Amino acid sequence: MDIQLKRGLLDVCVLSTIKTEDSYGYKIIKDLKPCIELSESTLYTILKRLETAELLTVRTAEHGGRLRKYYRITEAGKERLRTFQKDWEELMHVYRFVTEGGTTPHE
Amino acid sequence: MNKQEFLALLRRELAPLSPTEIEERLSFYGEMIDDRMEEGLTEEEAVRSVGDVSAIVKDTVVEVPLAKVKKQKNTLRPWEIVLLILGAPLWLSLLLALFAVILSVYVSLWAVVISLWAVFASFIGSAVGVLLATPFLLIKGLTLPALALLGCALFLAGASVFLFALSKLSTKGLLLLTKKSTRGFKSLFQRKDGTR
Repeated sequence: MDIQLKRGLLDVCVLSTIKTEDSYGYKIIKDLKPCIELSESTLYTILKRLETAELLTVRTAEHGGRLRKYYRITEAGKERLRTFQKDWEELMHVYRFVTEGGTTPHE
Repeated sequence: MNKQEFLALLRRELAPLSPTEIEERLSFYGEMIDDRMEEGLTEEEAVRSVGDVSAIVKDTVVEVPLAKVKKQKNTLRPWEIVLLILGAPLWLSLLLALFAVILSVYVSLWAVVISLWAVFASFIGSAVGVLLATPFLLIKGLTLPALALLGCALFLAGASVFLFALSKLSTKGLLLLTKKSTRGFKSLFQRKDGTR
């Protein structure tokens, strides 16, 4: 798969795991397992990229006597997910057109 | 490997990065290990599942923009400096001797070039001198000697044309050699990006 495409897909995958509630590193990896196997270093890069693009925010909270980083989606992040969905619906529309013959039935 | 060792190794491998970058990554991976242990894995298993250090470093190097990586300084370690000073009488004198030899060879080459020019000058000087003297000889009636000397003069004139070409060529050649050597010598002290 094209690397830029893959990067974009991984970004939205991660964003979708924090769509409804905050999450933390290890949980994100677990939640993504049915979709994709993510390594820690890849996730780190993605989270950093999303944070720089202000698609998520980070906060540190105490958990079981140690500190844990929690990630929360921003409005911009939600917008990115909506755009992704719209783009792919358009793509699916074209895909169906292309694979189902692409012509109108003869009269 | 336990968590401590893993983090220490990672810290060492990530040394070129800025302190903030290093700490961020260390806390990230430390957190990952802790979370896995919370799930029930042993420390060893948790460290192993987080991945091996070389893979992490490779991913890091690919992603970090060049501006963030600190430049490696070419500093000498203390023991290297001590060794350098102790050995000075030996390597320094050898270096000076080598330099003296190179210098004398270079000067000799110039001596050859200068000699060529000197010979050229004398040839052409003699030719002119003889040509000037010939009329006087003819007046005195010494026709045959005059002719002989005229012949010599012509020969000298011809030879000096050849010598002029040779001297000019050798001068150019030596100058080119000098330029190339100094450039080559300078490049020994420069790194690929052109900095000293």
